[in-house]
Amino acid sequence: MNPHLIQFGLETEFGITRDTSEEIDVVAESIALVRSATQPGVRMRWDYESEDPHLDMRGFRVRELRQDSDESGYSEQDAEREMSFVEIKSDLVLGNGARFYNDHAHPEYCTPECQSISDLVAHDRAGERIVMGCGKHLSESGGSKVLLYKNNTDFLGHSYGCHENYLLPRSLPWESLVRGIQSFLVTRQIFAGAGKFAVESEDHFVSAGFQIAQRSDFFSELQSVDTMQHRPLINTRDEPHANPKMFRRFHVILGDANMSPFATRLKVGTTALVLEALLQSPNHHYPRIADPLGSLKAISRDSNFEWPVRLENGAGSTAVSIQRTYLEAVKQECDLTDFEKRSLVEDWETILDDLECDYLRCQNRLDWVAKLVLIRGFQSSQNLADDDPWLRSVDLEYHRLDPDEGIYYGLEQSGAMTGVPEESTICAAITDPPRTRAYIRGKCIQKFASAIVSAQWDHITLQGTGGPIRISLMDLFAPDSVLRYAKAIDDACSPDDLKDLTTARI
Amino acid sequence: MPEQSQKTRPVTPRPSGGGDGPSAPKVDKPNVDELLKRMRKVDPEQAKRYRQRTGQ
Repeated sequence: MNPHLIQFGLETEFGITRDTSEEIDVVAESIALVRSATQPGVRMRWDYESEDPHLDMRGFRVRELRQDSDESGYSEQDAEREMSFVEIKSDLVLGNGARFYNDHAHPEYCTPECQSISDLVAHDRAGERIVMGCGKHLSESGGSKVLLYKNNTDFLGHSYGCHENYLLPRSLPWESLVRGIQSFLVTRQIFAGAGKFAVESEDHFVSAGFQIAQRSDFFSELQSVDTMQHRPLINTRDEPHANPKMFRRFHVILGDANMSPFATRLKVGTTALVLEALLQSPNHHYPRIADPLGSLKAISRDSNFEWPVRLENGAGSTAVSIQRTYLEAVKQECDLTDFEKRSLVEDWETILDDLECDYLRCQNRLDWVAKLVLIRGFQSSQNLADDDPWLRSVDLEYHRLDPDEGIYYGLEQSGAMTGVPEESTICAAITDPPRTRAYIRGKCIQKFASAIVSAQWDHITLQGTGGPIRISLMDLFAPDSVLRYAKAIDDACSPDDLKDLTTARI
Repeated sequence: MPEQSQKTRPVTPRPSGGGDGPSAPKVDKPNVDELLKRMRKVDPEQAKRYRQRTGQ
């Protein structure tokens, strides 16, 4: 195994509503949206039996996950749904290796596992296209227009996530990972934030006002397995979806959903580089923030964009300064011979320089700056007060997945944003899996969809003439192994021809 | 949705983000008129109507 292997993926929950003043059932809409997908794939074959979100990285298992208190108001409505668990989830595993399903009350698109940041950005964008296509189909099938949003809040304290997953060797001790990465996660919002014209708490709107991140209002614990209430800075869910003796999956839940592909690239790319630096040197000393939870909110809400932070040793610092410490560690510890990583480091450094000198310089790359400039311009043109609710409506529409009406998409169409993937790259990602184990999942789906019995991140099971053939992907990370498996699928005339793969079991 | 009429409430001055640092890099300016038009089309009540359930 490559001792520095890191693969990553994004799981984005989208907001969904209809262009009507009538109240809608967002769960029913989400289910209908997922079911309206026309991409080739395998439906309702996700293997839930091998999932366990209750295991904790700290070595224990929690009895239950905490649910949001507002959710109890929906229990009657949910109980009346005449659908099985699998029908409500409506999973679709796609030929590009992605998963698309109804996660409780939101359509969620999970990119396939990527090892290149450009692949990840393309697949994130491909997800937007697929979800948009579903919205169009569902709108055409009747009722008012379906509106979809790639954001993280309804401004009333109901937040939904854009989670990042980083698969890395388990040799990095959990305590070292947490100690090393905490200050990075608290401060990276200065470039990864999507911006928000509201202050919220769980289940409540608090006040008007701009802050740089959508999610920072919703974190109140340092570590836990929870994701819906009392969310933690560090999620401790121990569910690697890979060989648990060899790998851990670092599940990051505090990030915003980015519209800007540049911001997505920087958010995931720098986090992966910091993890690589930690793998190289687990005991490297990083600044420790005295009050990480307080600083997360304070940085997001700092109207001066100076982002002062108090360290554990009593010294004062800033979010930019802390990011520079991580940047220097990455330069020192990581192998940057790869062009993609080197370019990422250069862009990271330039963004920090620009944020420190004049944040307005970043309006062509970062969501929060682009949104702030646009909406302040709009506010000025309309003579709106800072607490005018119209600002929140325009904020919402910044995230709208609609090329004709979405504000971010309008900005991008004007040529103002940099780092947007080529159209051909996005189109390819809608159908083609990246060259990770997702390649094997995708190829099996493309070639033998009707024979798929079940699918999961770490295995896929096909129906053979002598019974089910389960192909384990638990350890399939070496590029030559992926190519060998891919060739076997290319050469196979039926699932039976895959029986002899090293990790196939009948 | 019709364009909304201008309102007359005061606007708080925005920080310029200026300073004595090096001059700003060349940033392509968006077509502001087109974007303003798109923003004016947004229903001011859209966010008030937008209700979601808590996700992860």
